Amino acid sequence: MSAYIIPIIFIAIFCYSKYKKVNTYDTFVRGAKKSIPLVVDIFPYIAAIMVAVALLRASGITALLANALSPVFNFLGVPTELIELVLLRPFTGSGSYALLNDVLVQYGADSYISRCACVILGCSETIFYVTTVYISQTKVKKLLYAIPIALICATFGAVFACLLCKIM
Amino acid sequence: MNKIWFVMVVGSICFLLWRDPSSVLDSMIDASGEAFSLCIELCAVYAVWLGVLELVEASGLSEKLAKLLHPLIKKLFKIDDKETEKMIALNMSANILGLGNAATPMGINAIKRLDDGSGVATNAMIMLIVLNATSLQLLPSTVVGLRSSAGSTSPSDIILPTIIVTFCTCLLGICLVKLCNHIRDKLKRKKK
Repeated sequence: MSAYIIPIIFIAIFCYSKYKKVNTYDTFVRGAKKSIPLVVDIFPYIAAIMVAVALLRASGITALLANALSPVFNFLGVPTELIELVLLRPFTGSGSYALLNDVLVQYGADSYISRCACVILGCSETIFYVTTVYISQTKVKKLLYAIPIALICATFGAVFACLLCKIM
Repeated sequence: MNKIWFVMVVGSICFLLWRDPSSVLDSMIDASGEAFSLCIELCAVYAVWLGVLELVEASGLSEKLAKLLHPLIKKLFKIDDKETEKMIALNMSANILGLGNAATPMGINAIKRLDDGSGVATNAMIMLIVLNATSLQLLPSTVVGLRSSAGSTSPSDIILPTIIVTFCTCLLGICLVKLCNHIRDKLKRKKK
């Protein structure tokens, strides 16, 4: 079902453009051209955050932190096995998908733990990555409460996901 | 961001100094290489989406979409700029469809237009960042894909709980941002 959504949207956009007498080929090329400068602009920011995450994971600090925080998360209803996932999720997309795959393989795709992990990942974003990339092209240095609020929401999401998976 | 990055990097290196000093540079360069290949991938993805976006833009579809979402955007962002509204409308639509990578270029454009050059994030910027960071998406396709390849009997049964949770976190995010923006405006007025 979901596989049809994108192609149908594309057909609609292309046909509508034709109908509005837009030169589809020229216009597409003009847009596509913008992708290279954009990627060149955001590459250093992506590199910086990925380097920091790689160091964090290599050092084993996340595992230690997961251990130290397990009483808090357990109290909130998040199983110990998922804490590292919850902690890493705001920083890395690919890393958290790799972790999810480990969980799926280790505990079985239909287990409670795996379902929680799926919902946690599905409802959250790589907060730090999104934030750095979004503000990378502006002069903004002070984000005030943007990141704390996003983190609160993500934690709430994780807790809520674990609760919901128990009853659904 | 400067502080967070400093703590992450220096903390980790200190830790590794004691555990495995030779891996420091290796893992940094590995990560940077990973970032590079990610960017090449992103470049391809953005080329397609920016091409399509240009069509949406040129055909006037984006204006229609912006008009459709106008009441919502007006309420959330309190802005009065047609161009920015268009960008935000496209960003939100892409997010809802689960196209995070397509949403990014439009989000960047919108944020650029919201920047007032003062170095401090404006209320509308914070709203946009939190909306994107809480990811209101209706189709967690990657997760479902991973789950079915891991041998799940009904991989899509996590969609409903995911939608419920994502909707709640998004709502919570909006309320918190609204509240903080309100307090911020009040403090500003007091200072004056």
